[in-house]
Amino acid sequence: MLKAIRHFIEQSWLLIVASFFFGLLIATTNTAWSPRIEQNKTTKINNLMSGLMPKAEKFELAAELQIESSKGKKVKSNVYKGLAEGRCLGWAFNCEGPGFADKIELIVAVDENFENFAGYAVLASNETPGFGDRIKLPLYRQQFAGAPADKLELARTGDAEKIDSEIVAISGATVSSEAVIKIINNFVVQVKEQMQKKGLIGDGK
Amino acid sequence: MANNAQTPLETQGKKSLTGQTTTSLYKQTLLAGLWRENPVFRLLLGMCPTLAVTAAVKPALTMGLSVIFVLLCSNIVVSLMRKLLKPHLRILMFTLTIATFVTIADLFLKAFVPRMSETLGPYVPLIIVNCIIICRAEACASKNTLVVSIIDALGMGAGFTLTLCVLAGIREILSTGAVWEVNILPAGFVPWAAMSMPVGAFITLGLLLGLVNVTTKRNAKT
Amino acid sequence: MDTLNILLMGFISIVIINNLVFTKFLGICPYLGVSGRIDMAFGMGLAVTFVVTLSGTLTWLIDHLILLGTPLEVTRYVCFILVIAGAVQLVEMYLRKFFPVLYESFGIFLPLITTNCAILGLCLFINLWGIDNLLEAVVLSFGAGIGFTMAICIMAGIRENLNLADVPQCLKGAPITLITAGLLTLAFMGFAGMIR
Repeated sequence: MLKAIRHFIEQSWLLIVASFFFGLLIATTNTAWSPRIEQNKTTKINNLMSGLMPKAEKFELAAELQIESSKGKKVKSNVYKGLAEGRCLGWAFNCEGPGFADKIELIVAVDENFENFAGYAVLASNETPGFGDRIKLPLYRQQFAGAPADKLELARTGDAEKIDSEIVAISGATVSSEAVIKIINNFVVQVKEQMQKKGLIGDGK
Repeated sequence: MANNAQTPLETQGKKSLTGQTTTSLYKQTLLAGLWRENPVFRLLLGMCPTLAVTAAVKPALTMGLSVIFVLLCSNIVVSLMRKLLKPHLRILMFTLTIATFVTIADLFLKAFVPRMSETLGPYVPLIIVNCIIICRAEACASKNTLVVSIIDALGMGAGFTLTLCVLAGIREILSTGAVWEVNILPAGFVPWAAMSMPVGAFITLGLLLGLVNVTTKRNAKT
Repeated sequence: MDTLNILLMGFISIVIINNLVFTKFLGICPYLGVSGRIDMAFGMGLAVTFVVTLSGTLTWLIDHLILLGTPLEVTRYVCFILVIAGAVQLVEMYLRKFFPVLYESFGIFLPLITTNCAILGLCLFINLWGIDNLLEAVVLSFGAGIGFTMAICIMAGIRENLNLADVPQCLKGAPITLITAGLLTLAFMGFAGMIR
């Protein structure tokens, strides 16, 4: 038995020593850099939210909700409160859902009473370049700014300048346009409901 | 493929025993990675990341630099360990080394260039199974001295990065009219959206390979 | 019924719509090297399917039972590749003992599967997509293998005919294979958006 162990160690001592050394290397690098990695994630979200609510000075996490996605899975959604001089300017929450190609992740901003949208920004998407990718462009996004925070509808043609609950689709990218609307509709209804239940909105606090 | 890569270096090793200067050996090793044994065009290794990240020049350059880093570190470590390696465990050792350095490279990218890290996505950890690195460890680093291994790593890495950037440059110019997000082509240019999709990647690489074949045949004839 | 629906949709999606070779650029190296003849291609495809199903399941289990949420998460890549190498080794030993004829016919392919980007790529994608259900992970892994097999067999069929065609000298071999693969990708793009 002892001979077998000795033989094993003789054959693999380099492997064992190397594993130990490499493990140490990985652990040190991780400890050194992981605060920075976390910081990068929050900076990115903050930058996107500042783009949507330019007057807000800072954002704080108001609630972490569980929203049921269109596929029936529970998705975590963080709701942030945008503050300026202590006053609530609006809310931003992240949402996701299936797009044309892969998953689309958005950050949606609404005003303080959850009555109108302030707009949305794309966190991550893999849509067809030149077509579905246009959901990132201001041309499509600006139709959402000021639209009522209720069920939005997709229209193939129409007046894109008019701000109401009808959103004109991107020509050649109906599926991606519709995906964005479906995701926003699904999430805004549930987030509003859960925020009202928690008593965080309802009287413009 | 591995045999082709071994022979030139073996003959170089023998030559150095008979008096070829070490500097010319180093120069030959360095240049080999850049053209004669270019990993993508001649040895046909490392195709997966080549096609995936070359939609634009920035991600291509980032990927190339990461590969140089991993290749360098792994070649150094393997070359230092080469006398201690047991034959039947050596692939495992190579894999472990490469996986460690790729983890470190990935952490570095996530910490210092988060947007590039997102664009590259899962292709950074795929450097672990990039045939180039494990082939160089097997064919060169485990058989040569430290300095030769370092130079080989630099040469191969530079060749790979160069290839990636050329492919990315072509695809980016044709699909967006800009290179490194600086507009080059006039505004009237209608971008070829196909270039940013998998189709463009495959076809461009195929045509480039054909071009390289033509050039090498012509050089061989003259 | 709903789970069955999700599983079926996931399977179809990864075989046809999100095919690993055509949309995610994984598994190109063996794709170029092996797809010379249909029977070799099919054998390679089967071997890959087997290994990828095994690896996908094992890595999902390790990820969820040990790694997620703990500081050990940073060693994910090392663990995954070691599991894959181990799985390939196990398959090799098993085949050599119980199906020697099959083992002979696989030849050099089996050890080469370890460096197949498709396997590590799939394990990482399962992690990236946040699959939180063992059955879904198994079905996706199996689907990925089937998708790879399908892609490589289509390619082998085309290549067998390409040998008889009048390909320009400089394009013979890898270049024309890549161009054909590109056209296949274009064809498969037509499937995108099939599943809402």
